[in-house]
Amino acid sequence: MPKLFERRLAPADSPLAILARTFAALIAAMLVTAFLFRSYGANPWQAYFALFHEPFATLRGFGYTLVRASPLALVALGTVVSWRSGFAYLGFEGSFIVGAVVSSWLALSTAPRAAFGPMPFLLFLPLAILLGFFAGGIWAGMVGILRARWGGNEVLISLMSNYVAIFLLQYLVSGPMRAPGSNPETPLLPRATWLPFILPGTRAHAGILIALIAAALVWMLLQKMPLGYELIVTGFNPFAARYAGIDVRRRTILAAFFAGGLGALAGVVEVLGSQHRLMEGISGGVGFLGIVVALLARMNPIAIIPTALLYGGMSVGADAMQRRANIPSSVTLILESLAVLFLLAVDLLRYYRFRPSSLWRQPPETITHGVPE
Amino acid sequence: MIRTLEMRNIVKRFPGVLANDHANLTLRAGEIHALLGENGAGKSTLMQILYGFHSMDAGEILLDGRRVHLNSPKDAIALGIGMVYQEFMLLRPFSVVENTVLGLREGPGPLLDLSKASAKLKELSDRHGLALDPAAKVENLPIGVQQRVEIVKLLYRDARLLILDEPTAVLTPQEKDRLFSVLRALPADGRTVIIVTHKLAEVMDIADLVTVMRDGKVMATRSIHETSPQELTQLMVGRDVNLRIVKTSQAPGDSVLQLPVLQIKDLHVAGEDDREKLAGVSLDIHAGEILGIAGVDGNGQSELAEAVMHLRDIRSGRVLLNGADITNRSVARHRALGISYVPADRRHVGSVTEMSVADNAILGLQQKFSSGVFRNIRHARESAQNLVSRFAVRPAGIDAPAGKLSGGNLQKLILGREIIRASAALIVEQPTRGLDISAVEAVWQELLRARQEGKAILLISTELEELLNLADRVAVMFAGRVVGIVDAANASVEEIGRMMAGLPAAASIPSHPPGAISGTQRAEIV
Repeated sequence: MPKLFERRLAPADSPLAILARTFAALIAAMLVTAFLFRSYGANPWQAYFALFHEPFATLRGFGYTLVRASPLALVALGTVVSWRSGFAYLGFEGSFIVGAVVSSWLALSTAPRAAFGPMPFLLFLPLAILLGFFAGGIWAGMVGILRARWGGNEVLISLMSNYVAIFLLQYLVSGPMRAPGSNPETPLLPRATWLPFILPGTRAHAGILIALIAAALVWMLLQKMPLGYELIVTGFNPFAARYAGIDVRRRTILAAFFAGGLGALAGVVEVLGSQHRLMEGISGGVGFLGIVVALLARMNPIAIIPTALLYGGMSVGADAMQRRANIPSSVTLILESLAVLFLLAVDLLRYYRFRPSSLWRQPPETITHGVPE
Repeated sequence: MIRTLEMRNIVKRFPGVLANDHANLTLRAGEIHALLGENGAGKSTLMQILYGFHSMDAGEILLDGRRVHLNSPKDAIALGIGMVYQEFMLLRPFSVVENTVLGLREGPGPLLDLSKASAKLKELSDRHGLALDPAAKVENLPIGVQQRVEIVKLLYRDARLLILDEPTAVLTPQEKDRLFSVLRALPADGRTVIIVTHKLAEVMDIADLVTVMRDGKVMATRSIHETSPQELTQLMVGRDVNLRIVKTSQAPGDSVLQLPVLQIKDLHVAGEDDREKLAGVSLDIHAGEILGIAGVDGNGQSELAEAVMHLRDIRSGRVLLNGADITNRSVARHRALGISYVPADRRHVGSVTEMSVADNAILGLQQKFSSGVFRNIRHARESAQNLVSRFAVRPAGIDAPAGKLSGGNLQKLILGREIIRASAALIVEQPTRGLDISAVEAVWQELLRARQEGKAILLISTELEELLNLADRVAVMFAGRVVGIVDAANASVEEIGRMMAGLPAAASIPSHPPGAISGTQRAEIV
């Protein structure tokens, strides 16, 4: 009898097959979430319309989508570099905060009468990016050194380092960097240090351009440079890497440095483009959601951009959904997580061929009598 | 009690491979049956089907005429079928008796009665001449004894049919003789022994019957008295292979006068457990010479190769290349100076199986295949294409993942890559382990060609035949020392075997302390 799923001998790994599986996973996640919508008495169609209409079909909403997508993409790019180099870095919340702190500090120092005094934006921006990147790089690079020199577990250490950064931020915004007489937050950054808005009538800022450039650079690093080759070899097989004369320790530290740097850029972009001041809780989970984006994009730096837009858009749409369909916005968190779970599950389908025709076509032979094997 | 076991028309498919193509095999009680074939001929698959490890796609297994279903090794064991894998399935910190009863219920109720089990084990061991101490910890036992533990595990479960997969791969000649004498006694009890092997000499030595497989098909079953090694070879590979390859003699006078290309001086190296793995090894390798290193696996050969490449920390001693000290230079520097290394582990060290053939072709010289900060991908692909065609790597596509290549083709890729780069010296470890005859031949030819080109080659192998065929001199290692060095031209297998087992060489040897014998002070043996 023909089966709906026929076992295949070699896995299907063509780009089309990968795309089809990814969409299948998204649709499966949406189907399951639809049941959750029902339990709130909402119509799933309306809920999904609310979820996707505002972020992708309105200009204002799309502007917000870009705002949310930029830091997500940068964290996801950091994930790609470190994970493909075999360094399972999970400290992006921490590097995000480090990037946000140093760029806020630099921006506040360019206020009139502050340490540096006003400086042209064209000087300020590269300086902020470099400073943020290096600060985050060194922050994560320390984890890299602990692993490379003493065999520390980067998963645990980087996860814990997030809390160090969170408390550091708390201290700074309630102490030395606090604006007089206000909530625990810094003063508004000087207008001259804000990232320019790029879509008139929206909040969309140049951060998405920084993310795009970073994606291109990461792609170039991994695909086109001997350094990227060495990082990937190290990630796949550290023994072969050592055998090939690659300094595995240095490459590990470098991968950590890049990851922290990219994570910090997310913080830079968020502060200079969107929040315009430093406050507690500024990262808002982007450091973890970005990892999810990288997983969903299958560690491909180019695929990260649309994936980050999707996830950024969903977080914008979640608010609209709450307003219009009266569904808690946290349901989208479930949707986002389910998508990843299903994505991991659909990998089983690599070994099957989908035959919808078996549903309506009669089998050529009826089952013969006898004992089935 | 098994009298006959028949495997009929067994078909087994793996992704992209027809591993067994209507294979037939008949086994009778009381025979030693060899299953002979090149690597990838389907021998192991057929045996793993018989052991219930793989399911078959078609065919049937008949035990004394009755059809049986083997869905797991558990079913096979219940029917009296047992298997010893090439990699032993022993818990190393456990004792012999603990390993033996593992998975069984020995004793009343939930309690384990080890003393009764020990007595039974001792009795089995005595009856079959296994000489096992039930209380000994497996990790302290030599490989040959560990193998006998695997055999006693099967006898303890009263296996009537014992399958041994490549049982001699890790043994010294003496241990092999010991194993064979144990195996020869088993059929007297009405037991059947199957030996899976690709070594003709062993088949002729021990088997009553031999079944030859090629490309998943059974070519023939012969009684050992009615066949010859020539016929078996032909059945195995489908053509005559002359493995006695021609080695041209190099003028030895020149090389002795010249400075050796690679000099290893009193090398001491510690292993992971801080015990000394190399206890003062000194060797000289001249241009155009193959220096063979014989020894049972694990006597410091891998550590020697890794230390010379500086993949391993060196405690003391020096490595000189053309007189210059390179002991503590980086691996990358070694490579840049023209020393290449073909490691024993093709899939986990010598290549990155997830990456393409093209990417593997530049492994180790990735910085050279670049212009500025960018990779010169066109140049790298051209060189990969050349490599694949010069060394006849099949399939020739350079974009497929290297992990999809068969062992022989992957080895040709790695060997080719390293030979092309070796402007000075080449270190080769177990170059033909697990390869089929035609791949062995190709690898040997390439090594001899590299020797002809004047490269200094350090050839580490556990295959004596390989060393005697290729090497100019053979150094024997035992317990981290060089026990002796012999001329390959007039060395005897027996003598090398004795030294491999750690026994002192024949009385004729000059009284050098072990390890202090350098290449220039040759100890002529035999």
